[in-house]
Amino acid sequence: MNALHVLVADDEPVSRTVVGAMLKKAGYIVSYAPDGEQAWQRLDGPTAPALALLDWEMPGLQGPEIVERIRNKQTPTPTYVILLTSRDSSADIVRGLRAGADDYVCKPANEDELIARVNVGARVVQLQAALADRVRSLEEALANVKALQTLLPMCAYCKSVRNDQNYWEKVETYFTQHSGVSFTHSYCPNCYDRYVRPELEALDDARAVQDRLKRK
Amino acid sequence: MAPDPALDPAVLDTLRQLTLPGEPDVLTDVLRLFLDEAPKKIRALQAAFDAGDAPQMARLAHSLKGSSGNIGAGALMDVCRRLDELAAAGDLTRIAPLLAALTEEYHRAELEITQLLQTS
Repeated sequence: MNALHVLVADDEPVSRTVVGAMLKKAGYIVSYAPDGEQAWQRLDGPTAPALALLDWEMPGLQGPEIVERIRNKQTPTPTYVILLTSRDSSADIVRGLRAGADDYVCKPANEDELIARVNVGARVVQLQAALADRVRSLEEALANVKALQTLLPMCAYCKSVRNDQNYWEKVETYFTQHSGVSFTHSYCPNCYDRYVRPELEALDDARAVQDRLKRK
Repeated sequence: MAPDPALDPAVLDTLRQLTLPGEPDVLTDVLRLFLDEAPKKIRALQAAFDAGDAPQMARLAHSLKGSSGNIGAGALMDVCRRLDELAAAGDLTRIAPLLAALTEEYHRAELEITQLLQTS
């Protein structure tokens, strides 16, 4: 498993240090924020951590408020948030989860429980990242298909099209290669009148001339 | 019968085992942080009590409850919890004896911490 980055936000240095040491021992990369405002700055920045452990009560912004802000950002890979709380009444826990927290851990944190819950978070983060990658490559593929449909250079005279390797080829060849369409040749009524009928008539005329010559 | 230790040995063991090779000792770090921080909080609690500021008392007691829990100072944590509950309810009438108990429990913890830091 790649080492994921976890932000620990707690105004209380003892708790912050203990939780951070537990995470480091479990192989995570840890950074710290001593209050809600600084935690939000890190979470709102370009290199937001994959996971965050937020203390419920901090000066500035409280844990649930930060969670709401994260949820309002609507990024494809949002930070997985665990609230750290010494509030253990179920009403408080429900409030934290309703605000958008992914999980909660009661303080003082038990090492095994904390790490087990953070590992669950890490799994979710990795699944989410894989899903976001997949969506991105599908979007790219879709964009290529659209480009193929909308921007196909065609010779105004001979109707050849320029392929992706900058070679000119017949429309039939191009589409057979790019879309699996195969062509069968026929003619439309207009072209029948314009090309086919005159050729057939010319053929008949020639045959009539030959017959006349033979009879002579 | 010897009194219960102020700090839970199981919690101290857990903290000891958090130290990674080549890194500073976690237990020592945490205990020093606690000694640095707890007396300030206790003085601030007394000041908030004198000023009749219940919300501030609740905040401080809550925070001190968290740090005492982290080092396994169970009795200190219990006093903080009761202070937190009373102050959060705005009831300052029964606080004075709790503040005395707080100082008492802190000193018991401080003594053990100082011994631990000397031996480690």
